[in-house]
Parts: sequence; C-alpha cells; structure tokens
Amino acid sequence: MAQDYTQSLQLTLGHLYPDQLNLYGDRGNILTLRRRCQLRGIELRVVGLGVGDALAPDEYDMLFIGGGQDKEQAPVAQDLHTMKGIGLWAAIEDDMPVLAVCGGYQLLAHYYRPADGPDMRGLGVFDAWTEHKGAHVARCIGDIAIRWNNMTLVGFENHGGRTYLGTAKPLGIVLKGNGNNAEDRTEGAIYRNTFGTYLHGSLLPKNPHFADYLIELALQRKYGQGSPVGNIVALNGTGTHHTSSSNHATNIYVDTSERAAGSTPAVALRPLLSPLDDSLEWETHASMLERLGLYSEATTVLQKHTS
Amino acid sequence: MRKEKSSQPISPEEPEQPLQSDQLHTTESPPSPHTPEKKRSPKNRGNIRAGLAVIAGRSVGALSRRLHLGGGTSIVGVVAQRVYPDIVEHLATELEHGSIMVTGTNGKTTTSSFISAILRDGGLRVWQNREGSNLMRGVASSLIIRARPNGHLRRSGAAISIFEVDEAALPQLVQMIPPRVAVFTNLFRDQLDRYGEVDSVVGHWKRAIQLLPNDTILVLNADDPAIAQLGEAFSGKVLYYGITDFTLAQPEPQDEKRHQVVDTRSCPHCGNEYNYDVRFYSHMGHYHCPNCGDRRPNPTIQATNIQQESFDRYRIQVQIEDKTLPITVPLPGLYNIYNALAAITATHALHIDWEPITSGIEQSKPVFGRGERIQAEGKTMRLLLAKNPTGFNEVLRTLFTEEGSHHILFVLNDNIADGQDISWIWDVDFERMAQQTQTLVVTGTRALDLALRLRYAGIREQDMQIIPPAPLRAQKQRQPVRTRLRRNKKHKLAEIAATPSSTTATQHLYGLKNALDQALQQTPEGETLFIVPTYTGLLEVHHELEQRGLTPHYWEGRDA
Repeated sequence: MAQDYTQSLQLTLGHLYPDQLNLYGDRGNILTLRRRCQLRGIELRVVGLGVGDALAPDEYDMLFIGGGQDKEQAPVAQDLHTMKGIGLWAAIEDDMPVLAVCGGYQLLAHYYRPADGPDMRGLGVFDAWTEHKGAHVARCIGDIAIRWNNMTLVGFENHGGRTYLGTAKPLGIVLKGNGNNAEDRTEGAIYRNTFGTYLHGSLLPKNPHFADYLIELALQRKYGQGSPVGNIVALNGTGTHHTSSSNHATNIYVDTSERAAGSTPAVALRPLLSPLDDSLEWETHASMLERLGLYSEATTVLQKHTS
Repeated sequence: MRKEKSSQPISPEEPEQPLQSDQLHTTESPPSPHTPEKKRSPKNRGNIRAGLAVIAGRSVGALSRRLHLGGGTSIVGVVAQRVYPDIVEHLATELEHGSIMVTGTNGKTTTSSFISAILRDGGLRVWQNREGSNLMRGVASSLIIRARPNGHLRRSGAAISIFEVDEAALPQLVQMIPPRVAVFTNLFRDQLDRYGEVDSVVGHWKRAIQLLPNDTILVLNADDPAIAQLGEAFSGKVLYYGITDFTLAQPEPQDEKRHQVVDTRSCPHCGNEYNYDVRFYSHMGHYHCPNCGDRRPNPTIQATNIQQESFDRYRIQVQIEDKTLPITVPLPGLYNIYNALAAITATHALHIDWEPITSGIEQSKPVFGRGERIQAEGKTMRLLLAKNPTGFNEVLRTLFTEEGSHHILFVLNDNIADGQDISWIWDVDFERMAQQTQTLVVTGTRALDLALRLRYAGIREQDMQIIPPAPLRAQKQRQPVRTRLRRNKKHKLAEIAATPSSTTATQHLYGLKNALDQALQQTPEGETLFIVPTYTGLLEVHHELEQRGLTPHYWEGRDA
C-alpha cells in the first residue's frame, strides 16, 4: 500500500472553539502553521470545531486550543467533556500533536479551581491542576522566556490561575517570567505529543522551531509511520519503496520516491521540512530575549539562525 | 463667552484650538496659590481643609512641572486628596450644571470633545479633564486646579464638567461625583494585561450603575450588546442611540481571510449566541438572541442615512423621536459617527437645542491624535490613534476601503499605557492592506513583531522599512552591519537579494525620529502620510513633531 505522497502532502488542523477561545491573538498560531506548511508545498486545511461539534480523531492531523474568557470557558469545558472528550483522548493517545495555550492548557489538566465558585472540570490529559488563589494574589503577566529542548521559547503570559504539575513533565524551564505557578520555574506540560503552555503572543510566529516541530510531528505521524522526526527531516533520499509498514529508522523519510525511483534512482530528495528564511522571526525572537535581559541566549539564537 | 484666558494647562477650555506659544509660557509658570489676599476666613472646617488641599495640590503640581518630573497633572489630585479625602465631593457639588461622564473602550476622547463643543455653543462654561488623566486622581486634579484657595471653585456658575473616565475607575467616581448623564460608548477587548477580560469591565460598570441616583440619565449604544444590556437593571431614564443605515453593513465573515474580532457574542441572559440581521463591525450591529428573544433596543436617536462625502466628511440624517435632521460629521470612520451620535444623545438629554448640536459637531476639529491633521513641507500628516484590535481594524477599514494606496507609518509600542501584551496585532485584519501601501515604515518598541505580523498578512519584507528603537546587542557584538548585509545579499532567497537597498536602509536606522524622517521623505509633496500609533507612540510622535515646531506643546496625559 505504498502511496504517492508527492502529489500533495496534506494536513488537517482541527481548531477547537475558534469563536470562544480566541482571546490572545491565537489566530497567529494558525496563520504560522498554515504559512510554514504552504511554503513547503504542504496543504494545511483548518477546520473549526465549535461547541456542539463532535471530534472524529481520524479526520485531523493536529489540534489547537486557545484561551478565552472565564464566561466562555465554562460552556466550552462542558462541551469538551460531552462532545469531544473521547475523540480528543483517542487522538492524544494516538500521538496526534496537540497545542493548548492558556485556557486550553488549563482545560486539559484535571481541574481549574476559581477563587470562588465551583471547580471547572478539565479533561485530565495532563496530570496537573490549576488554582486561582484570589484577587490578592497577583496575576502572572508579562514577557516570558523558557528553555525547551535546549533552545528558547519566548512569549507573553497572562493568567490568574497557578498550575501545579503532578507527574506531568513540564514543557520547559522558566528563564525569565512566571511560568506555571511562579514558584517552581516550570512552564507548561507535555503528555505524548500534547503540549500545554501559557505562552501566547502569538507563540508560534516568533518560535518557528516549535512551529516546525509540531508540523514535523504531524507529518511523521501521518506519512512517516512512527519514525523519529529527525530521520525524516535530515535524510537525503536513497530509498526506493517504503511502505507504510516500514520501520527502519535510518531509511525512513516521506516517500516522494515512487516517481523518482522509476526514472532516476537515488535522486536526492528534498528534506521534508526545508529550511525557510526566518531571519525576521529570529530577530524578533532575539529581541524578546534581550528585552528580558537574556543577552547570551539572544546571541546564541542569532548565531545559530541568521548567519 | 467661549474664549477665556485659562491659566490652567491641564484642561484648556478650547481643546480644539491649539495653544499659542505665548500662552504656553504663562501656563507653564506655576499658579501662585499662596497669594495671601485670597485667604478669607472660611465659614467651616470643610472649606479650610478644601482650601489647604487645593493649595497643597497645586503647589506640588507646579513644583513637579518646574522640575520636569512629569506633566504634574495627576500629582495635584493625589496630594490634595491626601490632605482632604473628600475634596472631590466637596468641589463637585459646586458645579451649577453638574457633570457628564463618558466611558467605554474607544471613542471617549472624541465623544467628550463633541459634547463639550455642543455645550459651549449652547452657552455653558465647559470643564474637561484631559485624556490620559482619566483615573481618579486625574479627575480630582481637573477640579482642584479650578478651585480657589478658599475651597470654592472658580466661576462655577453656568459650569458643567465633562469627565472622560477610565472603564475601571467608574464605580469609584460615580460615588464621588454623581453625574447627570453617563455615556457608555462601546466595549471591546483592550489591554487585557491591565483591565483583565472584557467581562470584568462589564462587572465594574454594573456596579457603577447600581450606585447612580435615579435622576441620572444613561446614554447607551444600542448596537453594542455589551453596552445595551446595562440599561436593563437601571430604574432611571435610559436613552439609546444606534445606526439603522444598512448600506454600511459588513458581510458576515465567511471568508476566513477577513478576520473580525468579536468580543461579545452571547446573550447575557441565556448564554446563547446572538444572531445578527446586520453587523457594522466586531459585535456592533442589529442582534437578537434566537433562544430567549433578547434583542437590540430601539434607539431614541438613530442615524438613518449615512453618505460619505470624503475621507473625513459624513453627511448623516439623525432621527430624534419623530424629527429627522441632517448633520455633517467632520471626522473619518464609522466609529466617529457613533461618537457623534453619543454626543448628540447626551446633549439632547440635557435639552440642548439642535442648533448648538449641529454647530458643535460640524465645527469640531479632530482631537489629539484622532484624525488630527498636521502640515509640513507641503505634505500632510494624519494621526490616527489605534490602541486595540477593533480600533485598529476600523482605522484600517477607513484607510483601505477604496482603491488607491497610501503612505503609512506604524508605531507599535508595548509600554504600560499601551498594554504590554501585543498579541492583539494578530487579531487585526492587516490582510486588508496588502498591495495598498505605497510606502510603509514600521517602528516602535515592538517594530519587529509588527513587521512579522505584516509579512504574514502578505506584505513583502522589501515593501516595508523596519526601524526598531535600537540595534540588538547580540547583532552589534557579532558582526558589523556591513558584513551582515553582504551575507544577506548572498542569501539564497531571492526576495532579500533582489532588494539590497531597502535592506541596507532597514539595517542602518533606529528610533522614532529616523522612522518619521524616512516616512516623510518617502511621501511626495502634496500627498498624505498616515501615522497609526499606539498610545505612547502617539505621545512620542507628538513630541517629535513639537520639537520640529509643527504641533503645539502638549505634555498632558503622559502620566496615564
């Protein structure tokens, strides 16, 4: 069942609650994913999933959930349980990349406990919980930088709730800013390929490496059948017929070789995610780091990405 | 008499008339609060304390201006209130015609200025607080600088005060100064890091309305569901205003490229989503709840026919009860028609005749940065403040609706008064302006973020000039600018290689001054440069223009 993927790589992004959870420029994340796919000839379809829509995990390759106002978060929390819970769980357990920002992140943890009023139940994907300690405790507001995978992520955070991790792994460690709770220097949470974070700003435009990472995870899951991302990206093709059952890590890449193999064998294939000109992105990223006083990190970023 | 010699710079009686430079000199010199002859024996302790408070506040204010510590506006109120906490209540009761309060996300300043022009033409003496001084202390200051050391207001006869009030400061202020009319313009997301969410502002306002006396008249925008709902719990008189000209309607956002931020989408009674028969922008329009039947109230005052005559001239027909009267709004944008309607409704509530209403509005000049026009070197600059996504979207819509392209300078700052979170730029429909800019300069503390946003909107990097406030330290350390450019030229991507000149210019220039120079240089004589800044960007641009002798001195409001 080898397929010819050359015609068009296609990904479908499910955008959960685009009308309710869109408080902090979340649209930037969607625009970034779309553009970075488009520039590589990957078609990204975006499907909005509102209140009342079911989530069929097979129809999507990535999911995104943003943050919203408290008033709008309550009906969303209800809908997340009744309409989308099972589908979302299935997708997550099947390693679908999911990005949940701010309110979306809180909804994927066990619960959100407001200063007054009843708990808002979350989906429990992350072993973590959020508490709002009341009006006397300052909100976590401001620019933030974290270390993720030995690189930096920058953004803006604005949350009243403090999130505490149980067994969930953090997305990163806070370099400057508050993070999950302003206490333990953790930021965000990871479960399989699901990422929760408080970083908006929007997150993905000035963190192109994280955007590409999500796209790679999605492509790998859809086309690469379980191979490590690095192999897809780094390889120049020498392969011929890779089928969906193939699992040899070093030889796996997205197979554009169906056509290539017939005519010119061993043709050098385009790496799946070709590098883009991200100098403006990295300059913006570095300027955020400098604003936070992280000068050596900024230098590292510019050295690595813009020369 | 409209023309009075004001010794108080904080709220010139004629905000639409630029202060002359000789006037400025007198305004800068401190008032002499210690004049002994004014110290008559006061009748009661309140007046003594009030007098002391006035003296203390004004002395400190004068000192602070002298020492250039700031505008010296808010400190006046802070100190005076410290001396006599009830100073504001004390002075407010002396206003013969009471006060009007104007609040809302956008349009406060323009609406207040319309109202004051109308009332002045109606023969009243109008006092205003300055925008940027719209918190408690700013309002206190605006009264105190009008007070005499004997604890009484100067010339309080025929006086009415218009207070432009910050959304969150309203509950506290209405307790101290119960207004005769309270105007609510609209509610959009704005400075989420400062105000919190949109809903929490509604909470402040509902509390404020509960504190209002029954004889206050509420003036509410019928087309904004978040505002219209405020009338339900109020037992006094409510006047609604709105637009009923459907030709201005925007199609429902089907096309995903046309992005609309909608901040109020669900019915406050049942939580169901509103349906719109017609939508003007964001959540402004004719809405109803399909579930519980809640719907836009019928406005008392409405614009029934709107004709755009030019960029900043709208001819509108205003229906007041059973009469229809024409009026020209001399400002750009649909949002200014709402501001005019708010002012018409507020002054109608005070039984002002149509004549001063027409003359007040038609002769209004744009206020500070709200469409303000400045001429230099045969070129025109128009300043169009845009401080939140809806405001920005409406400015873009005003600029880019018709064919033709413009010269643009964007200034995006993230200082405290702007809101430090600039995520909202991703909610602005910059896609609208692609291929419609002749020249585009991007500056401000977050110039890079905005440039990135614009690139995503389909504007090529070589079509804009990015002028950040300062070079990155990391860049300076790493390589001299020239090396960097050579590398850029070698860069594989054609778009950079193709236009080394624009890249060169971009790399060399920093700071607002250069940005303004570049933008002006690129604007040919006889054409208009549209400057769209955030709030502190506007202050900086104004300061820069003032240095060049192009605008009147304006130091108020920097303490926002």
